[in-house]
Order: sequence, then C-alpha cells, then structure tokens
Amino acid sequence: MATARRSTLRLQRQSQTWTAAAVFLAPVMILLVVYIAYPIVNSFQISALKWNGISAERTFIGLANWKQLAADRGFWLAFRNNISIMVLSVLVQLPIGLALATFLDFGGRRLNVFKVLWFVPLLMSSVAVGFLFRYALATNGGIISTISKVFGGRNVDLLGSPAKALYTVIGVICWQFVPFYMVYFMAAYTGMSFDIYEAATIDGATRGQYFWRIALPLLAPSIKSAAILSMVGSLKYFDLIYVMTGGGPGTATEIMATYMYRYSFKNFNMGYGSTIACGMFILITVIALATMRLINQGGDRA
Amino acid sequence: MSTKKITLRVIAMSLAAAMLLVTAAFAPAIAGESKEIVYWNIGTESPDKEYYQYSVDQFNANTQSGYTVSAVSIQNDVYKEKLIIAMSSGEAPDVYSSWSGGPMIEYIEAGFAQDIDDKVKASPIYPKLMDAAWAQATYKGRIHAVPIMNISISGVFYNKEMFDKYGIAVPTTVTELESACDTLVANGIIPFALANASKWTGSMYFMSLATRYGGLAPFQAAADGSGSFEDASYVYAGEKIQDWVKKGYFPEGVNSLSEDDGQAKQLMYQEAAAMLLCGSWYAGTFLADSPEFYQKIGWFSFPKVDGSDADTSIQIGTTGDQFLQLNCTGEKLDAAFEFVSYFSNDDSIELLAGSNKIPATKNADTFEWDPVSKLILEACMNASATQLWYDQYLPPAVAEVHKDTSQELFGLTMTPEEANAKLQEAMQAYLNK
Repeated sequence: MATARRSTLRLQRQSQTWTAAAVFLAPVMILLVVYIAYPIVNSFQISALKWNGISAERTFIGLANWKQLAADRGFWLAFRNNISIMVLSVLVQLPIGLALATFLDFGGRRLNVFKVLWFVPLLMSSVAVGFLFRYALATNGGIISTISKVFGGRNVDLLGSPAKALYTVIGVICWQFVPFYMVYFMAAYTGMSFDIYEAATIDGATRGQYFWRIALPLLAPSIKSAAILSMVGSLKYFDLIYVMTGGGPGTATEIMATYMYRYSFKNFNMGYGSTIACGMFILITVIALATMRLINQGGDRA
Repeated sequence: MSTKKITLRVIAMSLAAAMLLVTAAFAPAIAGESKEIVYWNIGTESPDKEYYQYSVDQFNANTQSGYTVSAVSIQNDVYKEKLIIAMSSGEAPDVYSSWSGGPMIEYIEAGFAQDIDDKVKASPIYPKLMDAAWAQATYKGRIHAVPIMNISISGVFYNKEMFDKYGIAVPTTVTELESACDTLVANGIIPFALANASKWTGSMYFMSLATRYGGLAPFQAAADGSGSFEDASYVYAGEKIQDWVKKGYFPEGVNSLSEDDGQAKQLMYQEAAAMLLCGSWYAGTFLADSPEFYQKIGWFSFPKVDGSDADTSIQIGTTGDQFLQLNCTGEKLDAAFEFVSYFSNDDSIELLAGSNKIPATKNADTFEWDPVSKLILEACMNASATQLWYDQYLPPAVAEVHKDTSQELFGLTMTPEEANAKLQEAMQAYLNK
C-alpha cells in the first residue's frame, strides 16, 4: 500500500516536472521553429522557384537556380573572400585575444583599466563601427591619410583600392572582435584553479613555462570552440562590410551574404537569392562540421 | 509513463504549439476594409518632409471621402528593400513612391500598381504637369503613377571664383573642358568632386559622355536588345573616364568616398575641387548648407563632344523625382487618387518652388528663380528629350551591373571593353529571360 502510494506520488511529481519542462521549453521551441527551422525550410523551397520576391507569380524551376549557382563565378569569388576573412580572423583574432587575456590574467587587478578600455570596441554596434572607420579611413582627411601627410607622404586610399579594401575590412573586423576573444579566454582563465598556478610556481616554473606547458594545454578546449565560433562568424559575416564598402569597390569585398542581399533585394531575384542563402547554409555547415571533427580527432590523439 | 514517452510528448506539444503560431503568423490578415490609406514615402528630411506632410494634412482636413491618410516616412537607403519585403508578405502600402523606370515596371507587373490612365486624364492635374513627367509614369501606353516633386537633370556645378582666378571660361566642348581641367590640375585643384563609393555618382559621367557622343539612340537600342552596350558611344565614355582618372581629374581614392556622407560636396566647400557633375537637386543642397557658398556657384549643361552631331539639348535626368503608385481598389482607390492630387495643387507647388526645387509643372517658369536654378530650368524647358538615369531606367539586375562596371572603370580595374562586355552580357541575360 505504502509503496503503491509512493509510486503514484513519484509519478505525479514526475508528471509535474515534465509539465513544467514543457512550459519552460515551449517559448524557446516556438522561437526556434518560427525563426530558424521554418525560414530554413522555406528558403530551400524558394530556391526551387523563379520568383522576383513581390509578384504572386512563382514558377517552379527545379534545380535551375542551383545549376546557376554552381557555375556562378561571382558567388565563388565571394566565397573565396569569405575564406580569406575566415583564415585571417582565426590567425589574428585568437592569438591577440589570448595574448591580451594572458596579460590581464598575470597582471591582476592593477590592469582593470585596460580590461575596460580593450572591451570598448565590442560594445559598439557593427553599423556604428562601420561608419566610424569609413570616416577614419577616408582617403581625404581620414586619420591614416593625415598621419601620412604629416610625415610628407601622400593620401592613403584603403577602402577604394581593390587590392587593399579586403584586408582593410578584415583589420576592422579584427579590431571589433579581438575583445570578444579576450573576454572569452579571460573566462577560461578564471575557470582554471589558482592551485595549478601555485603548484607550478612552487615547482619553480617560470611564467613562460607556466603559459606554454600548463595554461595553453588547459585552454585548448576553449581555443577550439573559439576557432569554430570565429570561423562560422566569418563565413556568415554581413553588417560591417555592407556598411563600410557595400561589397565594393567593384566586387573586391563582396562576400556571400552581401551577394545574397544584392540578388534578393536589389536585383528582384528572390529565387536565386534564396539559393545563395541555402548554398551558404550548406557550405557553412559542412565547413563547421568538418573542422569540429578534425579538431576533436587531434584532441583525442594528444 | 516512461521518461522517454514523456520527453516525446513534451517535444510534440511544443512543436505543435510552434507550428500553430507559425500558421497564425503567416496566414494573411483577414481584416475588414479599413478607412485608412497607408502612404509610404522617403520624406525623412527637410524640406521634402514638409512638402509631403502638407499634402497629407490638407487631404485629411478637407476630404469628404471618409478616408484618412497615415504617412510612414522611411529613410531613402532602406526604403526599396522595405517595400519589397512588405510586398512579398502581403503588407504593401496603399500608396507608395518609386523613381519610375525598371523598379516601377517590376511593381506594376507584380500587380502592386493600378492602371489610373482614365482617372488621370479626367483630372485637373493632367494638364498641369509636364508631358515628359506623364510619359515617365506610363507603362505600355497607360499611366500607372502620379509624378510629384521636382525635376532633376544632371549638369556641372562649378566654382565661379576659381574659374575667374585661373582664367577659365565656361567650356562648350569636351576639349575645352579638358583644358580647363588641365589648368586646374596644374594649380593643385581637383577638377571634379566625386564620391564614387555610392556608384551611381560615377554613372553620371558615363551617361553624360555617352549621350553627348551618340545621342539617345544607342542607349535605347542597347536597352531593347537591337543594339549593344559595346557601341562606340560606350567605348568613348569608358575611355574618357579612364583617361581623366589617369590625368588626375578626380579626387584620390574616388571609389572610397561616399556620397551619402557628403564627401563630394565637402571637397567643393573646402575649395579643394572646382566642379561637380551631379543632379540638379544639388542647387537645393548647396543653398541649404550655405547660402554664401551658393553665391559662388555657377552651372552648365554637359558640353558637346567635338565632332559629334548628337543633339546637345538632350538632358539626362527625371521629370518629377517621385512617382506615386496606387495599390488599392474601388472607393479606396478614388480616395487615394484624390489624395495624390493634393501634391499638385497650387499651394503645394509653391511650397516646393519655395525650397528651390523646380516642380514638374508647366508653370514652373512663373516662379522666381535664382540664377543657377534659372539656367537649370531653361535647360529643362529647351530639352528635345530627357533620358532617364540609366540606373533607374534599366531593369534592376542590369542596373546593378552598370553601377559596378562604372565603378570598375574609375578604379581602372577593368578596361572599357571588358566593362561594356560585362554590361552587355547582363543586358542580354535579362532580355533572354
């Protein structure tokens, strides 16, 4: 009797727990379905249509858009730019972020000023950063040009020159996101027990030894996830480039997202725009999964 | 119940709830016929803001139709995108503006603009506005929009003091223009202020050179498929632009300067540059920014190409800067038409002229104009034809390529032949569609 009652009670409590779970999960699920799952499915549907985005007339054309995409030089050029941004972002943002975090971690409270100062770029919206640098890097009267003139040089054209525009934009992206990785690694440092540092110093390790032999291996999981974050972020990048160059000059800084925007909203070709978006989705997923597998394999072996 | 089953039930429940919400959100709103006319415009800044608001207020105060207009102002750069999104989601406004040309045709063909030919021709605004304005609002022989706002044509604004100082006369041929530029360059002055990150600004040079070289015919032929953008006019335009870039007629880093940030007019204000080839709305801009500076400004229509017999009275621009499409039916359409007529009543037009913008009305010359606006008005009145801006006239997908290739010309990253071939390829792809 008593056991039976206990089990009913348990069942009751369990059922209550699950109701509560459902209530708490529902909002997230709804948001996920409405804003993530549905649009993805819908984009794939639209990618099979010839549709200008506004007309009631939508013609089903099967894989024609996909064939066009596979042969579209403009898209693959944009993809290549994305890859450049991705590689340079990982190579620049992560080491600098890590260096700053390490510096702050060693310095302790004395360096709080730097902590705040270095964090500032991340607080600004990408659009504001874009405008700021558009003025700062202006060929005529911008900071760089003015400095160059003080030393007797000429105006420096960074955003208007096809050869330099992409690297200039990447520089600005790094400026904006280094603080993010700094904070990320600082959090990782906080997660490491102080005992480890103490033990290492007692054993006579120098700071350099501590960093290379102890901290860095312990930080490896954080570095891995930071790398993936940075890669995926670079591949789907849009706002800052759109504001700073709009993909120009010519197509020098065109990336997949600006290319998609151009087709969907400027060229009245929503069908092809959706195909580009889906192509991005596939490419990013594949690259992210492949990288994750590669990194984790490396981790297992180590 | 097992844990697994409950988990499944929870997920199923949330999914069902989510799907319900999706369906609800995307089902078309079934609302009764509302008495509100939603009007979208780009009047976020003075003086246009006041001009739009005036007609809205006048209509709302005086109409007997029982309808009221609520105006939504959207910033110019995002306006077109917002409009497309609204149309695709069934939330299109009842009255909205376009710049005619390619995008207007897209809206009409998608069913978002009514044929108002009969209404217009029976209304008192028909004889009031210039014929060229109505021609621009016509699609397949029927009027589909009401032109409002000012005339804009492209032309060269120049600093009179600088011209005097270096003994330069107003050029009447491209050769004279080039020698004027050489004089300016020799004196450390940038001949043309141009901010070409915006792309359409550089297109002004391309259009002007091509039109003065070959008149209207090559463009019309290229656009309808009987000709080509590889015509001699476009080769000439491309080569001249690159020649001028090499000779330093444009500011350094011209493709990085932004028109939206006013980086072209700043060069004029700093007196670092002597000329600016752009739309005649700049008369209003200069005046609004600095009435003293405006005193120094003169204007001339783009000069003749030596040896060409193309008609130099042809102007490039638009007669009426905004075109209102009506996207409603029945009684509401009548009310909407009554509303858009307010933009052309005498008080509205006077208000427009008062802000130094030349209205697209036949009585435009009866207002008092300053010397610069007078020159612009004369050029409009004497024009044998007006060529609409290429980037507005061409189908949007081709216009984008045109803007890109003209930017590449200025950046010297494509030869004129390559640029024109690319443009022709895009045009052909559109025609084959």
